[in-house]
Amino acid sequence: MTEVDYRRAGQLPGPSTSNLADILERVLDKGIVIAGDIKIDLLDIELLTIRLRLFVASVDTAKKAGIDWWETDPALSSRAAHRELVEENRRLREQLAAPSSAQDPELHGDGTAAPGANEDPPQGRPSQRARRAEERPVS
Amino acid sequence: MTQPVPAVPPATVATYVFAVCRHADGDVLCRLPGISTAPVRTLPFEQLHAVVQDVPAAEADRQFWTERLSDPDELERYVRAHHQIVTAVATAGPAAPMALATLYSSEERARQALTADAARFHTVLDRVAGRVEWGVKVYVSSAATMTETDRTVAPARVPQAPGAGRAYLERVRGTHRAREESRSAALQAAEELDAALRSLAVAARRLRLQEQQLNDCRRVQVLNGAYLVDESQTARFTKAVATLRRRAGALIELSGPWVPYSFAGEDGAHGDH
Repeated sequence: MTEVDYRRAGQLPGPSTSNLADILERVLDKGIVIAGDIKIDLLDIELLTIRLRLFVASVDTAKKAGIDWWETDPALSSRAAHRELVEENRRLREQLAAPSSAQDPELHGDGTAAPGANEDPPQGRPSQRARRAEERPVS
Repeated sequence: MTQPVPAVPPATVATYVFAVCRHADGDVLCRLPGISTAPVRTLPFEQLHAVVQDVPAAEADRQFWTERLSDPDELERYVRAHHQIVTAVATAGPAAPMALATLYSSEERARQALTADAARFHTVLDRVAGRVEWGVKVYVSSAATMTETDRTVAPARVPQAPGAGRAYLERVRGTHRAREESRSAALQAAEELDAALRSLAVAARRLRLQEQQLNDCRRVQVLNGAYLVDESQTARFTKAVATLRRRAGALIELSGPWVPYSFAGEDGAHGDH
């Protein structure tokens, strides 16, 4: 049986948290490493297996979003956290740079003039509230 | 034609090590399945106990493990079994979890290697005694990284009037600036959350950001932190997380308490730099 799927969390005994990704990142990546008789490159296993799992689970979603991290993921060549952060930032930047016109193109297309940057949002989405809080002067 | 099952001499048994501790409850451990059919047991060394299990010698092989763990279902089985033992060990006192697949060709080899590292184990057990690890993940909505102007700048609807081109370019420029700012704001918010939580922790580490947001493109993970917290401070820590969650425009996930996996290795030896 090689079916790849997400098991329902909480099925197995153990701590209150049994999110597989959380367990994987601790059991595979952390813990004490001492010289064993058998040298197993956990990094290879982690990257291949976890990423395969995520890939299979999310390939459709990712394709729709135009994300191709599996081609460029820096963790495939380095596990350094700061490299990962740099890459994450780059990806975030790409997402931000992606055209947003596909989203709700008709939202403001009802004949009203394009409002200025300082307009009040029609509804206070949490994200907007957060952004506006950030804009408050600190004096 | 029945084939006699050959008796397994001791030399064909390898030793898998789950964790090291000072006190182990053998009655509890022997009831857990572990990763093989042999009982989970303790192996005393240097006033410490390793929690171990015999595995067939044929499994003490790199190729075997690489193949086995490259199968997602098998990987999950091993990881969960390992985690279950480590967690059980920690209920009886501080535990130093070993990395998955720490294997020795014999019990004697395991004892030698563990003894050689006894000082490290004492250090780790001192560090994690009376402490637990909490995981905090922070996500921002992808929409939060878009700004209001993103939605209002619709290139197809630029009015054909004098000066409209310039106004349009200004708006585009403003949009880019706003995107940069909101991206910085999201990362800045993560830094502030991390700093607030660090102040309540004995130690903290930034784990690699997880990729799961691909399952949900509406959110982006900006922080994946691990915090080593005194058990006496647990209530304060979780309360602080709850307060930050209310205050911040971000989704905050709290997981734990964990056996302090993230604080068992030498700082800087792997993971964070």
